[in-house]
Amino acid sequence: MASISLESVTKRYGAVTAVKDFTLEIADREFVTLLGPSGCGKTTLLRLIAGFSAPDAGTIRVGARVLSTPAGAVPPERRGMGMVFQNYAVWPHKTVYANVAFGLEIRRISRADARARVTRILESVNLAGLEDRYPNQLSGGQQQRVALARSLVVEPSILLLDEPLSNLDAKLRERMRWELKELQRRTGITFVYVTHDQSEAMALSDRIAVIHQGALQQHGRPREVYAQPANRTVADFMGLVNLVPGRVARASGDTSLVAVGGHRTLRVALPPSCREGQAVQIAIRPENVQLVAPVDGTEGDGVPAKVVEVTFLGNLTDCHVALDDGTRVRVQADAGASLEPGQRVRVRFDSQLCTIFHD
Amino acid sequence: MAVGAGAVLVLVVLPLLSLVWGSLTSEGRLTLDHFREALGRRLYLQALWNSLVLGVWTAVLSIALGLPMAWAVGRTDVPAKRFVHVTAVVAYITPPYLTAIAFVNLFGPNAGLINRFVRETLGLPALTFNVFSMAGLVLVTVLHTFPFVYLLAASALESVDASMEESAQVLGAGRWRTAVLITAPLVAPAILSGALIAFVNAIALFGSQAIIGLPGRVYTLPTRIYALFDHPPQYGLASAMSLIFVLITVAALALQRRWLARRSYVTLGGKGSRQELVSLGPARWGVFAFCAAVFVLAVLAPYVTLFAVSLSKSWGLQFWQNLTFANYRFILFEYDVTRRAIWNSLLLASAAATTAVLLGSLIGWIDLRTTLRGRKLLDYASLIPLGLPGIVVAVALIQFWLRLPLPIYGTLVIILLAYTGRYIPLGVRAASAAFRQIDPSLEETARVTGAGWLRTFGAITLPLARPGLFAGWLLVFVPALQELSASILLFSSESITLAVAVYNLYETGYLEAVSALAIVTMVIITLAILVATRLGRGAAGLDRASVAH
Repeated sequence: MASISLESVTKRYGAVTAVKDFTLEIADREFVTLLGPSGCGKTTLLRLIAGFSAPDAGTIRVGARVLSTPAGAVPPERRGMGMVFQNYAVWPHKTVYANVAFGLEIRRISRADARARVTRILESVNLAGLEDRYPNQLSGGQQQRVALARSLVVEPSILLLDEPLSNLDAKLRERMRWELKELQRRTGITFVYVTHDQSEAMALSDRIAVIHQGALQQHGRPREVYAQPANRTVADFMGLVNLVPGRVARASGDTSLVAVGGHRTLRVALPPSCREGQAVQIAIRPENVQLVAPVDGTEGDGVPAKVVEVTFLGNLTDCHVALDDGTRVRVQADAGASLEPGQRVRVRFDSQLCTIFHD
Repeated sequence: MAVGAGAVLVLVVLPLLSLVWGSLTSEGRLTLDHFREALGRRLYLQALWNSLVLGVWTAVLSIALGLPMAWAVGRTDVPAKRFVHVTAVVAYITPPYLTAIAFVNLFGPNAGLINRFVRETLGLPALTFNVFSMAGLVLVTVLHTFPFVYLLAASALESVDASMEESAQVLGAGRWRTAVLITAPLVAPAILSGALIAFVNAIALFGSQAIIGLPGRVYTLPTRIYALFDHPPQYGLASAMSLIFVLITVAALALQRRWLARRSYVTLGGKGSRQELVSLGPARWGVFAFCAAVFVLAVLAPYVTLFAVSLSKSWGLQFWQNLTFANYRFILFEYDVTRRAIWNSLLLASAAATTAVLLGSLIGWIDLRTTLRGRKLLDYASLIPLGLPGIVVAVALIQFWLRLPLPIYGTLVIILLAYTGRYIPLGVRAASAAFRQIDPSLEETARVTGAGWLRTFGAITLPLARPGLFAGWLLVFVPALQELSASILLFSSESITLAVAVYNLYETGYLEAVSALAIVTMVIITLAILVATRLGRGAAGLDRASVAH
């Protein structure tokens, strides 16, 4: 069983708390991404799981086995995990073959056996035929595959990946994503993946854990985290979002009303703690905002606004509108929409896709 | 281009050619007699052999001292790292002939203080150590050369990215196996390269080889070449031996280049990330003791000894019973050579440093920013002196200038030519490194704005490169201030330098006065470095501020 459980893990470096009271369960065979901006503590967490340092508080278990406590940690070499680093860390003084075979030599696997396993794994990452090359004769993508093969050949039950795709160019990154996902499905290894790229996280993960300033903000399936962010930090981090200021006009659960852009009201679902008259923010993603022409709407259907800026992006039109109180809202409209700056429009918010935050 | 090429021609290429010519001719006829003699007579073969033995032992022991120190500072929790680092730097700056004189005062067979203590007070004559031997020479030399290995190994260890080692650990290799299988191969090129530089430097040091080698009858190439200028000077033979000497040096440097070029993995990546240090526990005090022992040998013993000798009436077991400033009075006020030597050395070192950096800037700039034909050749030619021991430079200059009607032999000018020629590679390297940091677009912007080439160079390039150029200036100034190997063949009583004054006084056997002069020398070197860095730091700080705005 290669499930991982982090219980109230805290790690400090001097005065800085890199990881704060962090609790997360990662199931066997799951692909979990630790997502957050740089410096949020996600790499520290990964290194705690790998055993490079011991937590200042809390416990890390794999299956039933306790690996790290403040009293001490099982060293990395006795955890049987695999790890892929951002800079690949492919040893420049060893050939591709020797890089990949290293873990097998350490495990005293017989030469013939090792050769067979290395050959097989190199084939599976499309590196067959490059066994005798040195890393400086390989492209970045190839080096990345060597690093992967080196970790996978020892058949770990857990693979830790620290921003493994961030040094690759956009096209290659796209392809490697797919390959990684495929690999994880095929091998059934538990993947713990660290990245700051939310689209990467969504494309790859079974579950995403969003981290900010060392603390877990939200964890869940990509769709959940994207559509129902737990707070502003998560909403902001998971992609473009409008935060429209409003005031509660009527608080009554699912049929509450919130005033936006002057006096227009919007029917939304409010969190139970909201009271009438309270200031709130409505979070809505640009693709969930609709623009309608003012003539075909009746009074009350949508919020009046003026088009400020229009940018044609090929597959869609990116548009900024200003509500009457000056609030800017970003909208992603059809590529074919005919919009001109200065034009009067109405803005419709899909209340199902709005999330309300309050202080 | 013409200026740069002309300078390199006069400073390096032509003297070297006349050295070759001199070694192959005798009274105008082509002959191999000089080489036959140099390689045929036991006298000279012994010197060649001794130089090689000295070089190899020094290289090996430089690793033995430098590597543990580098590892301790870079990878462990050993206490007082700053102290260990400063030890290496001071050991490097200390002129080896001063260390040699100090060790003669401690381990001279008869009068050496420690030897007398062991023999007379402890009554254990078997434990005395005769410094006038190959072992003594190696000891004194390695105390000067181990910093080459230390510095290169330290920066290599620092630039190995931690993930290289962590990958091995995750794959199941413990600390020890990781060190042997991953770290060691990665830093080996840097260590070997440091050892080769130690080798090249060690065999070129004239001062320590003369002070320790001659009384012990351990003749080496520099001291043999020097002796050939006695009586009737034997220029041809000296030239032939110089060329053999150059061959060894160049071979070692070529080996080092190839090693670094082909097998260096660490110099390119810059500083790697590193979080955890090896916790040594109580063993760290043992490691610290090792570093402290190096400090005692390389720094404390030489300086304390020289200071004590300089204050004593006569050096011996009871020297502290009658202390005196008479030696300093003699050196500073009665011995008229001192002031001339100080003045000459300061003048020569500043002039040589300035010339080397200016020429270096010109050559570096031509190489980096122009497409002039022959620029690579110029750059290469300017690096030749790296392979030339100081005494060889002197022999070459003598060969060259004696053929010309210009009477510069015996003047400060020929010494300045020697220094500038010797240290021009340092100027070129510093300048190239400094210019490489400046994006060409910064200069192009000035040109587009309407500034001419000269204006651009003066207003944009030079100010931006100043911190780097200044570092290069200091890199030339410090060794030039203590230069002995070339000066020893070129000086006259008018153009005597500090190091030559020390050596000459030592030859008279007046140890107390020589120690006083040695201390004065070190004070001057220290003061000069302090003043120069103070001035340079101000300039560098200003530059950084102006770049930021």
